[in-house]
Amino acid sequence: MAPNKTTATLFIDKDSWLQRLHPLTKLSYILLTGVAAYGGPSSLLYICLLLFCNAVITASGGLLKDTAKALLRVILPLLLFMIPIHSFLFPGNRTVLLEFHGMIVYQEGLLFAISTLTKLTVVLIASFLFVFSTHPADLITALSHTCRSPSLAYLLGSPLLLLASMRERIETIQAAQRARGLDVDGNMFRRFLSLAPLLLPLVLGAIVEVEQRSIALEVRGFKSTSIKTSLRKLSDSALQRFCRWLMLAIAAVVLLLHGLG
Amino acid sequence: MSLNRRFKEDFTTTTVVLMSIAIVINIVGGQLVSMLKLPIFLDSIGTVLVGLLAGPWAGGLTGLLTNLIWGMISSPVAAAFSPVAMAIGIAAGLCAKYGLFKTWWLAMISGVIITVFNAIVAVPIRLYMFGGITGSGADFITSYMLALGKDLFGSVVISVFTANLIDKVITAVLAWGIVKALPLRTTTRLPRAKNVVSA
Repeated sequence: MAPNKTTATLFIDKDSWLQRLHPLTKLSYILLTGVAAYGGPSSLLYICLLLFCNAVITASGGLLKDTAKALLRVILPLLLFMIPIHSFLFPGNRTVLLEFHGMIVYQEGLLFAISTLTKLTVVLIASFLFVFSTHPADLITALSHTCRSPSLAYLLGSPLLLLASMRERIETIQAAQRARGLDVDGNMFRRFLSLAPLLLPLVLGAIVEVEQRSIALEVRGFKSTSIKTSLRKLSDSALQRFCRWLMLAIAAVVLLLHGLG
Repeated sequence: MSLNRRFKEDFTTTTVVLMSIAIVINIVGGQLVSMLKLPIFLDSIGTVLVGLLAGPWAGGLTGLLTNLIWGMISSPVAAAFSPVAMAIGIAAGLCAKYGLFKTWWLAMISGVIITVFNAIVAVPIRLYMFGGITGSGADFITSYMLALGKDLFGSVVISVFTANLIDKVITAVLAWGIVKALPLRTTTRLPRAKNVVSA
């Protein structure tokens, strides 16, 4: 059960300025984008401006194609549901835009759907930028340096290492229980009943292991407060630190104005 | 340093390891359900378990981190719902603290309470970030309610509640069963397991 395989995150290995940015800088950027999209003026022009800015940043990091692909995968189902539902059924619907065989498309609902979708797209692009350009190890290093907490770093990092072996274990348990005659293809009620014999061995086995794992960690000085050297070096600059504070300050001001207005 | 100190007092190494395993169970639980083709999510069983075994704050943190990690390995939309997962963990921890996980039928009531907490946090996120529609099966309930003339808020509340009720009740009962089945030598190491076990 050596967890030698790591579950792949969405990280894309490229060498661009986005990749080299400090993870916390990118996190503050997501926060700023989110606040700017949802707390700023609600005109469509403003949102499109944000959208354009984000697209330019993405393109300059060489991630435009991947982001567009991922975005399409998330936005398309939303679009297919949201545009029809709101343009037919939005409660504030007044103005008839189009009438087609008794189906009426209303202006208010359509506008509401479009503005929600564009806001969401802006925030999604910023988050995809972060996920695509940040190696999980970099994020964990950055967090453990700032929070000085080995626990938080462990909580973020170890699941990525454990996932692959846990997935293998599910398949082993399933094979074993089927060999004992467990019905996994019957009617719905039978399938509900077969949930417990699959889930219980998995979870019980994992929880019983907790003791061993925690002793192994303690023995290696997990909770020691001395500063550990890290193999990964993160580049951070005074400029980036300044930008982080600036972005957080702008986000706070926008929120404050939004709260007052 | 103060954050570190508080963290250290609340979270022993055993708790931290339990949380990391619970995060993996949350992610894998969804895989199990899709293998059995069941119409539930089962993506918060680890969170509820940590709530029972280590208290509301550990449970809340487990939920939060599960969705953040999910955001990194599949899609950032999951990260947007991390406060919801956090509410589930806190609710489960509080229910266990007040003795609502002692028997299987009490666990079912806790499942309903967890659903209410879940809805309180999920509805605003769905409404303001996603305009009430998230591209899932629950949208059919929302649109049906809208067609019946309900307002957007009411429709989203009803669809979130109905889509989660069965899932959370099953999750709560399974979590109760798991804690009951744990060997004594494991439960004695976990601070809050006695809330559930000593019936």
